[in-house]
Amino acid sequence: MSDTVSITCTVNGEPVAAEVPTSATLADFIREARGLTGTKIACGHAVCGACTVHLDSIPVSSCSAYAFEADGAEIRTVEGLEDADGELDPVQAAFADLSAFQCGYCTSGMIMLTRALLDRDPNPSGETIRKWLSSNICRCTGYELIAEAVAKAAEAANAETKR
Amino acid sequence: MNESTRLDVVGRPARRKDAGEKVRGKAGYTTDISLPGMLHAKVLRSAIAHARLAGIDASAARELPGVHAVLTRDEIGDDIAPTYGYFIKDQPIVALDKVRYEGDTVAAVAAETEAIADAALRLIEVEYEELPPVASIEDALSDGAAELFEEAPMGIVPAYGAGASAELRPRSNVCYRFNYETGSPDVFETCDHVFEDTFHFSRMQHFHLEPFAAVAQWLDGDRIQVSTSCQNPFALRKELGRVFKLPENNISVRVPFVGGGFGSKNNCKAEPIAILLARMTGRPVRFALTHDENFLTNTQHAAILKLKTGVMKDGTLVARDSEIFLDSGAYSDASPLVAEKAGYRIPGPYRYRHIRTSCYCVMTNTAPAGPFRGFGGTQTSWACESQMDMIAGRLGIDPLEFRMKNLIDLGEPFVPGESGMDSDLREGLELVAREIGYRERKRNPLPNRGVGLALGFKDGGGVNKPAQARVKVSTFGDIFLHCGTVEIGQGAHSALAAVVAEILGAPAGRVRYMPINTDHTPFDQGTNASSAISVMGQAVERAARSLRAQVLDFAADRLGAEPQDLDLEDWHIRKGNEALPLAPMIMGYFGGTGWEFTADGFHKAETDHAAPLETQCVFWELGWGAADIEVDPDTGLITVHKLVVSGDAGQAINPLVCRGQDEGAAVMGLGQALFEEMVYDGTRLMNGDALAYRVPMAQDLPQEFVSITQEQGHGPGPFGAKGMGEGGMLPVAPAIANALFDATGVRVAALPLSPPRVKAALEKNS
Repeated sequence: MSDTVSITCTVNGEPVAAEVPTSATLADFIREARGLTGTKIACGHAVCGACTVHLDSIPVSSCSAYAFEADGAEIRTVEGLEDADGELDPVQAAFADLSAFQCGYCTSGMIMLTRALLDRDPNPSGETIRKWLSSNICRCTGYELIAEAVAKAAEAANAETKR
Repeated sequence: MNESTRLDVVGRPARRKDAGEKVRGKAGYTTDISLPGMLHAKVLRSAIAHARLAGIDASAARELPGVHAVLTRDEIGDDIAPTYGYFIKDQPIVALDKVRYEGDTVAAVAAETEAIADAALRLIEVEYEELPPVASIEDALSDGAAELFEEAPMGIVPAYGAGASAELRPRSNVCYRFNYETGSPDVFETCDHVFEDTFHFSRMQHFHLEPFAAVAQWLDGDRIQVSTSCQNPFALRKELGRVFKLPENNISVRVPFVGGGFGSKNNCKAEPIAILLARMTGRPVRFALTHDENFLTNTQHAAILKLKTGVMKDGTLVARDSEIFLDSGAYSDASPLVAEKAGYRIPGPYRYRHIRTSCYCVMTNTAPAGPFRGFGGTQTSWACESQMDMIAGRLGIDPLEFRMKNLIDLGEPFVPGESGMDSDLREGLELVAREIGYRERKRNPLPNRGVGLALGFKDGGGVNKPAQARVKVSTFGDIFLHCGTVEIGQGAHSALAAVVAEILGAPAGRVRYMPINTDHTPFDQGTNASSAISVMGQAVERAARSLRAQVLDFAADRLGAEPQDLDLEDWHIRKGNEALPLAPMIMGYFGGTGWEFTADGFHKAETDHAAPLETQCVFWELGWGAADIEVDPDTGLITVHKLVVSGDAGQAINPLVCRGQDEGAAVMGLGQALFEEMVYDGTRLMNGDALAYRVPMAQDLPQEFVSITQEQGHGPGPFGAKGMGEGGMLPVAPAIANALFDATGVRVAALPLSPPRVKAALEKNS
């Protein structure tokens, strides 16, 4: 039995073909093979969500998914959010504007979680925001500024759409 | 610039300097570093709490392909000091004669991958001779308890001033005792009442998301270069110099962004093992702990606090006698310092005629306890503020009025020889009482609902904390800020840069906070004790003011003017209605090569033997809190309907960042109050992972959560600023316990206020 698996996928829109060890996590693949260190590994047990990325638009804990599960999938990480000109995604901009981060270690995961929420529900209620944010842990902020940033990002995106 | 009339940078909710990198995923942390040829380290941890180490056989591990080195006690030679610590050097890099807790470090491996290192660990055979375990404070102090250290490890007691003293190892299983006394104990005899109460405080883990991590390499065989997730690079460098017997200019400590610490990332953690393995292998070594291992590395102090408080029947506090026992775990770590702080802070911000405290660091076979946000102040605020309400109740006085009567005035010394209180304590208390609707609720109580207040308190800024800073400005007005305050999430880099920008009349974007490398960065004792703005802030302010004066002097010479007639604005000299660009003036004078203006600043609190801790406190950190709760009498479940916290920033440098600090601290306090706890079964940690150990999530927030940043303007830092970030944690647990009493008439004097504990207390009372 081979210790590696061939996969093809896209990472932030870029087609990738790779040999990945069978034991490699999706986070290992993203961080080590692709060098995208914005995705952080914290708890290592799919509890804290610091490692959240999108796998075919679904937010997943990359620390607890295997790299081979990404075969044929579209992977999106925090590095894939800004546009080609380096313009921040409205979620990133809202987190920056409201200082909805402190140490920054949960931030990529929080931003990816928020992006997934707004992709599904562009006008989330306060309760929905709180529910979604409860998938991830931030030890620094007390969540209030993050929740405000999510609401602000939704508003900004909707204002943009109306224009 | 005329500060009294305008602030251009300070006080605005601008984007933090690290915002762009952090929201893009581009901020660099120690865990992100990868060097060519880098190996990975893992450690073998003891599965036994207390044992003599009879033998280790690592030969099979050494043979495993991909393994480059195995470190056991056999590899520790005379060329290094085998133990480290703060005041007491008792923690071995790897176990020497004994293991002292489940999770103690027995051996370490450097291998091509973490997986190979882990596999190698499983091949190491260890022979233990088990010893009786010491599980708790009570166990450790009981007659005939096993001793963690049969001989006293090397340690020191720092110089203390009036009324304070300490001893190393005053008795078996106690590594340090701090004492403080002022006034005569005779006043107890004049008291109308003396109340004695005991409080228990549970133990949390910091739960920083970035683990302890270091990447080390040796250069030219005798120079260490280490990047690390560390809060105090200079103190670490000093300790590494002692351990590795190297001059400090052979050790370069670099600190990138730090992914949270909350106290735990002071002093040696991953560094000594990474450095030793790098020396053994001649390769760079990365040692990043897992999050589960964080639980086995550093924790908060569980505590038992016994208070004896004398009071007059009109509610005047007279005397407080206290004994505090801190569960220090298996190694001293920062326990002596925490004992000093807990022992000093136990009176709370109230006026007494006599204070006497003793605080003991009790050794147990559990994970080492160390610095934790609040640094002893969380424990003392819990006990002190709970007892304030208990005494008020016994005297038939309203708890708010009881506090108001006894609070220290603005400017009044905390104790004889101390600095004056730099916040109006009553103003803050009135603010949170009004916000929670305290008086209205006391008049018209609701069923199963209660309101409670508390005032968390600590001396801030740290003692013996010198700080230096350097500001440089190049020809075209690009500003370099060099100082050692670590960006650990608190926003210090942005705040200190804002201070420089304000003083130099520059936009904040012109200031770059330079990477921290002890080879170049000016000295700083450490990023702790909420000290950045109050201590380093003063050093930075002086450097910036000195630089500004240099530039104005230079321009005055060039222009034949007096410096006081000139102003500095966006790297132009303003002279009357003219704005003259500085760059051509500089290029002209220095012959076209350009120039850098450079200025240094430092801060050191004056040594003062009349002050109990040898220097007066730099600033006082307060956290006012109020809670409105509901308790379910059937289950004991507490629902927090509203939580109000307030800190005093003196002058907020960035109001959003101040708010985030208070809210983050308050939610940590909420976890401590309601459910968060390291649960031990004897010496075994039962919930040492993220799922079993529950921290607050967004869903745990109170229905209403209000934080109010006061700006009373009395701080010692730039523009009247003072430190914050710990204060918000301090009042939460006692405010909720006081609200629980208000709701039910039942006092719970142990944490957390979990449903089983509350339910049991309610049943006992009925």
